[in-house]
Amino acid sequence: MPRYELSLILKAMQRPETAATLRRTVETLMERGAVVRDLENLGERLLPYKMTKHNEKHIRGTYFLVDFYAAPKILEGLLDHLHRDVDVVRPAVLKKDEQAPKANCCGNRNEKND
Amino acid sequence: MLCVRRLRSLKTALYVSVNPGSRSLTSEIIQMENPYKEPQKGCTLCNVTVDFKNIQLLSQFVSPHTGRIYGRHITGLCGIKQKEVSKAIKKAHSLGFMSVTHKHPQFMKDPNICGIKHLD
Repeated sequence: MPRYELSLILKAMQRPETAATLRRTVETLMERGAVVRDLENLGERLLPYKMTKHNEKHIRGTYFLVDFYAAPKILEGLLDHLHRDVDVVRPAVLKKDEQAPKANCCGNRNEKND
Repeated sequence: MLCVRRLRSLKTALYVSVNPGSRSLTSEIIQMENPYKEPQKGCTLCNVTVDFKNIQLLSQFVSPHTGRIYGRHITGLCGIKQKEVSKAIKKAHSLGFMSVTHKHPQFMKDPNICGIKHLD
């Protein structure tokens, strides 16, 4: 199964509510047959710009990163579900690239020219 | 007349240098790698993964006043890395990690990689 990354920005809430939202999200993922690999908390910070979502202007938010393995067909449904969640400000699913930096990325090209 | 003399002198000069008795230089040339070759210089982001989450790194390639992405002639990055950085910055903008119109004040004191001097 391909590996995805869910970048989640949650509304600035108290700790128990944030925990409940996260729990809900991960449970949704698991219900749809995804295997959650890693959950990272990037902290609560001031958002780079005011975001309007669910008729509310958000200035602060908590950033989370969820690594998971899933089938590609669940992604549409998952994103739809996340957009409808009131506590989520900005969800985004991205593919995870498993590439280490190519050795001598600049050096290779120079050698080819020679 | 003069040209003919010069040609003759040229001819004799050429023939004198090649002495059939001694070993000629052409057979003694040893093939070797250029000993004065300098190590390959990569761009500043050679072997550094560029990620949209790493906004501190990305902010170094962005103007502090307007938040605009610097061009290749200013950053000095190679083609591949410049494209990667540009794409990562745009991704960070859309996902809500980095501001579009300015540079985060926390990163204003970072060392200047790009060859640009601000009149501050």
